[in-house]
Amino acid sequence: MLVYTLIRTLTQYFFVVLMAPLFAGIIANLKAKVESRKGPSIFQPYYDLFKYMRKQVLIPDGSGLIFKYAPFILFGIYSLIALIVPIVIPEPVFFTASADFLGGAILFSLAAFVKIAAAFDSRSNFTALGAVRALSFNFLSEATLITVFFAVSLITDTNNPYITNSFLATHYLQNISLEHIFATIAFFMLFLYETGKLPLESSGLAELGMIEEGMSYEYSGKLLSISKWSGYMKQYILGAIFLNVFFIPWGLQSSFPGFLLDIPVMFLKWLLLIVIVVVIETTFAKMRLFRIQDYLATSFTFSILFLIFSVVIA
Amino acid sequence: MIPVDYAIFLIAAFATISGFYIQGQEYIGSMVNGQLIQSSIIALISFVLAYYEHSLDLVILGVLIAFLRGFLITYFLDKRVPGRMTYVYETNVNVASLLLIDLAFIVVGIFIIYSLVFTRADLITKFGPSSILVFPLSLFFQGLFLIGSRRSTFSQIIGYIEEENSLVLFAIFLVPVPIIIEASVFLDVLALVVISSILVIEKFRHFPMEELRG
Repeated sequence: MLVYTLIRTLTQYFFVVLMAPLFAGIIANLKAKVESRKGPSIFQPYYDLFKYMRKQVLIPDGSGLIFKYAPFILFGIYSLIALIVPIVIPEPVFFTASADFLGGAILFSLAAFVKIAAAFDSRSNFTALGAVRALSFNFLSEATLITVFFAVSLITDTNNPYITNSFLATHYLQNISLEHIFATIAFFMLFLYETGKLPLESSGLAELGMIEEGMSYEYSGKLLSISKWSGYMKQYILGAIFLNVFFIPWGLQSSFPGFLLDIPVMFLKWLLLIVIVVVIETTFAKMRLFRIQDYLATSFTFSILFLIFSVVIA
Repeated sequence: MIPVDYAIFLIAAFATISGFYIQGQEYIGSMVNGQLIQSSIIALISFVLAYYEHSLDLVILGVLIAFLRGFLITYFLDKRVPGRMTYVYETNVNVASLLLIDLAFIVVGIFIIYSLVFTRADLITKFGPSSILVFPLSLFFQGLFLIGSRRSTFSQIIGYIEEENSLVLFAIFLVPVPIIIEASVFLDVLALVVISSILVIEKFRHFPMEELRG
């Protein structure tokens, strides 16, 4: 039994770590195809990561320890979250008991804090610009994240994400309950914001659109590689939570060795999410920066209002 | 098959969302369209309930809402929005703070109504206890907040219509359908819109100090 759990743990962890860049590559490639461009290879994120690994690390003058070690801390935090939530296998693995849903949300907040602290610690104006922008918006995004998980806890009477996944997969009607539908919409809006997708943030280094990219502006070499890898992991984790807990909780196997089927299942689910994201990214123009608060206020409204309504109705 | 209460709750939730949509708009034209969407959603609720309850009254009610609120009032308001080439909008509309204050206003308002009134009044709705009335109440407070938060006469008229929409929704959820109340609300709103359309020409904006002058 212990060996099975160990195999499940390793499968889940290495799937997240190794496959997360691939999904980012597929999004970039598919987006280019829709825009009638050839586009980068789907393996481009891997090439970039390895290229950065070989490059020299340049540390800005006056930067502190947080700047230097933040990428490793972020990688560690996302590694832990990867074992807490059911993002590949719908059965608890090692380290799952270290936090519940709210603990996961707090770990996301911790990662955001570390990233912002590191951006300020670099003593660069550009990174400070990204950090200040992130701070202006994160107060609403973090609130949404927490209330969305409240909604999930309310539906299933538990704050264990694995039980939530199993409950929603077996109780079909709960998937069309008011709080679940609007929590799903709110979480999807949050997913677009947190992963820097259009219409909120244009990827690249255009100053007017920079938030996430702005914060990692001063990183280079190995540190940049690890920082980017953490970003891919964050995207995968948020996307997989959206798919397995909110949008499509069905289709995952926990038996041994049936759980190996979860890998192609997750791949297919992710392809569906990628198509939705690409449609949104190629349909909407970028929002003006100060409009992002309006967008996040809307997602927060969705998450909390219908949560309160559900309590009143119940 | 989806149970009727799930379906009605979801559609009614979209009525509340349309209220937030109206609240977040700067352009008057978009607010009028938001009002049209809201009225159409309420008509849809009436039709869905008519289908489940096999009630002719609710079908008539739905048709009346769609025609009078969806079409006629929108037509009157649309006619009064100045010229096609000039876009009438309100300045200083901070959507994020408006949404959050509106949210707080709704939650506090509903909490007070439920804890002070509905716990004592024995209201029977089509879905048992008074829980579904949370949707018309949210619309009511949204209309109230729209009137309070905007200066343009158009926005204030739309806020009033939103309040009337909430009364209609309230009436639909109650058992039995008080159609006479509905008819009087229609006439009330219609008359108000006709009078207001004259008022809009005379006075487009309201400022707090002007209200205090004799």
